[in-house]
Amino acid sequence: MVPLVAFQLLSAALFAIGIYGVMARRSAVLIVMSIELMLNAVNINLIAAASHLDGSGRWANFDGQIIAIFIITVAAAEVGLAMAIILRMYRNRSTVNVDEINLMKW
Amino acid sequence: MSWFLFIILAVFTLGGGLGVVVTRNVVHAALFLLVSLVAVAGLYLILFAEFLALVQVLIYGGAIIIVLIFAIMLTRTAEYPYISDNRQWPLAAVAAAAVGVVLGAAFLDNNHLQTAPNSPAFADLANSLFTTWAIPFEVASLVLLVALIGAIIIARAGEDNS
Amino acid sequence: MVWAWLIPVISFAVVPLIILFGKRLPGKGSPLAILAILAGFAIFWVVFAGFLSAGPETEGCDIGVGTKVLTCNFQITWFEAGIPGADTSGFDRIEIAWGITIDPLTVSMLGLATFVALMVQIYSLGYMHGDPRMDWYYAFHALFIASMLTLVLADNFLLLYVAWELVGLCSYLLIGFWHERPEPREAAKKAFIVTRIGDVGLLVGILLLWSHVGSFSMSETFAAVAGGELSDGVVTASALLLFLGAMGKSAQFPFHVWLPDAMEGPTPVSALIHAATMVAAGVYLVARAFPIFSASDTAMLVVATVGLITALGAATIALVATDLKRILAYSTISHLGLMMLSLGAAGYTAAIFHLLAHGFAKALLFLGAGSVMHSTEELDVRKMGGLRKVMPVTAILFSIGALSLGGIPILAGFWSKDEILIAVNNHLNPVFIVLTLLTAFLSALYMARAMFIVFYGRFAEQFEHVHDAPPTMSITMGLLAVFAVLFGLVALNWPGAFDGIGYFIIYEKGHGLEFVIWLAAVSTVLAIGAFIYGYLAYARKSVNLEGARRKFAWPLKVAEGKYYVDELYQWTIDRVVMSLSRFVAWVDRALVNDVGINGPGDVTRGLGEKLKYHVTGYVYSYVLVMALGLVGLAIFWWLVSR
Repeated sequence: MVPLVAFQLLSAALFAIGIYGVMARRSAVLIVMSIELMLNAVNINLIAAASHLDGSGRWANFDGQIIAIFIITVAAAEVGLAMAIILRMYRNRSTVNVDEINLMKW
Repeated sequence: MSWFLFIILAVFTLGGGLGVVVTRNVVHAALFLLVSLVAVAGLYLILFAEFLALVQVLIYGGAIIIVLIFAIMLTRTAEYPYISDNRQWPLAAVAAAAVGVVLGAAFLDNNHLQTAPNSPAFADLANSLFTTWAIPFEVASLVLLVALIGAIIIARAGEDNS
Repeated sequence: MVWAWLIPVISFAVVPLIILFGKRLPGKGSPLAILAILAGFAIFWVVFAGFLSAGPETEGCDIGVGTKVLTCNFQITWFEAGIPGADTSGFDRIEIAWGITIDPLTVSMLGLATFVALMVQIYSLGYMHGDPRMDWYYAFHALFIASMLTLVLADNFLLLYVAWELVGLCSYLLIGFWHERPEPREAAKKAFIVTRIGDVGLLVGILLLWSHVGSFSMSETFAAVAGGELSDGVVTASALLLFLGAMGKSAQFPFHVWLPDAMEGPTPVSALIHAATMVAAGVYLVARAFPIFSASDTAMLVVATVGLITALGAATIALVATDLKRILAYSTISHLGLMMLSLGAAGYTAAIFHLLAHGFAKALLFLGAGSVMHSTEELDVRKMGGLRKVMPVTAILFSIGALSLGGIPILAGFWSKDEILIAVNNHLNPVFIVLTLLTAFLSALYMARAMFIVFYGRFAEQFEHVHDAPPTMSITMGLLAVFAVLFGLVALNWPGAFDGIGYFIIYEKGHGLEFVIWLAAVSTVLAIGAFIYGYLAYARKSVNLEGARRKFAWPLKVAEGKYYVDELYQWTIDRVVMSLSRFVAWVDRALVNDVGINGPGDVTRGLGEKLKYHVTGYVYSYVLVMALGLVGLAIFWWLVSR
């Protein structure tokens, strides 16, 4: 039997990998992929908790799974929008390298 | 048996994730992501969340990876096969490790739960989703619609300008 | 009798109608207001008749133990607050009701208010004829009378306070009705602010009572006071705080300064609000809360003393004032002081009796003054004289009012004044009765002065072409005059249900008509003497006043300067209040605003100005800082929670 904490540690590790990707990669597409990793880490955590807690606990049994469904929904929307933005960026500046995009600098 | 499966899937998940963040080739990164996401679907299965596993494979493994590969194809540049990390990557590695340690420590600190995973009935999940969560569900559809329209507008407006 | 609540509600209902549609209605909506108050007056008679015939078995009514006081309560819940389902007698839950209570005091006030309001509104048809804002005038009038009736009907202090503030608002609006001129504007502000000082006391008093009783209901409060549940200190303090409100509304010294200035409003307004009804609200309040006052000897003495000071001081000013309306205003203040004095002397019946008698007579006098002013457009009595030649009806009616108020026997004022004198004589120090008699004499004297100087004596030629009052004005004055003459007869025991006012408006126990011969004789002699002297001095001019003027030059100057109370207030405001305000304003600007509010903003913006050059602009840098911040926060919370 795999205890809940094993899944949680796995999700923590995946989240750390994802956030490293967001902070270190130069390609906008790769950053989006890293964000997907982070979202998956969260989903693992939620679903593991949903499966290990019964309805008498602090969370109802399905709530973790249902929130995971919503996260997947939002992730799909987010990827669609992110891709549109990346395409737009590529068309305007002929690059997806975030090193070359620093419009937020003063 | 479940430990065996868990370790295999964890290796694939983390290995795929590491591959996404270290490989220099963008297309390889996308394929590593696919490996990681399918392994996560396997994890859902050993947690008895069959529906979520199905959704994970369909949406992540199917739709999102396809979209990402399309994006890679449409934004192809000469540097794609050997894209590098930015200058702050060592610092980023430290920060990411710290986040992981903090999260892991928090989880270990609250490790009281020793129950076995159980399996909620599929029909109950559907019931809950369409009764208790009906309004968030509708809002989520609206979010998807808005995102769809927004993506189209953002992508099209560029054509008009250039 | 249950339908008594309709009396104010009808008038409330016509207010929005007049405001919205007044411009398109015939007479600018004035008939609506008059019909509303006429309906109220009719209902008053129904209520009065029902009240006299009702027995203790009537639904909602009960009869006081050992007395014949019949009190009827009807209420609906307005709102509740506190713990649902808890007991309303404690502090866990309060229930605020829109309730009415009907007892003899309320019935009397209803009658006075509806009758005078009806007369004044009809009178205003003539007086305000052609005014471009007639609709607003009648809307304010209707709102005022509705509020006033609510005030006298209210069975809890909260509703009373709401109505109390509403009449104050209407007073403000009507004093400042001709706001194109500066004086009414200033007078309206002054009236509002001065009464407001007293209102704060009233509110604090109500809340103090609530905090000890747990209910706003008057009957419960009085029961608690009578049951000795409140300490003496609380009873005295709340009585004095309530009296502060009454002082503001009833223009008692030192809050009397607003009432003379309020004469800048239209004269019918002065007659209704600033003579007969609203200013009597203070007296009404003290009478209504009499169980609280009578439980505290200190409060009673304060009420009596303030009343006497006000009565005497205002009477002396009235004697030297030169503006006809201001003479009447100071006379009003003086008589309100007499009512307070009477209440302080436990003369409950006498005070209310005088309130009613004075209300009819003073309304008549004001309407008479309004008639003079309407025709001559002059208010300075020194320029008038012999006006009875050109306006005989007004002259006769005004004289009736003056004689009634002056206390000439068998007219209304005589009876009520006599009751007050008996009460003062029975319950207070002999000093009080002497000064009260002096006030009564001065009262007759200034009424004689006003009457003779304006309507008798040598005719002032410039008023050759003035006309007498139009029918709407003279008829209403005539009706009021009937009351000013005959109202005193309610003191007598008549056959039928009515046993005389001594058995009707009673507190604890009733009494028949008291008649102390020597007091009646002295006061009658004083009153008649005053009128004869006034006739000789002001109409015949056979008494030379110049000598007396020279002899009493100094006191005369002080009285003409109104005891310099206004100047004292002005000095206080200029020197004390303004410098304090300047200091507070400085604290607000320099400390609160510049340092406290703009300070953090300036620091943030200054830091931003410096730091913005060090921003890389890379999103991943921001994410890095976020991640480090997350770790930092986690460690912080771990340290804190350990």
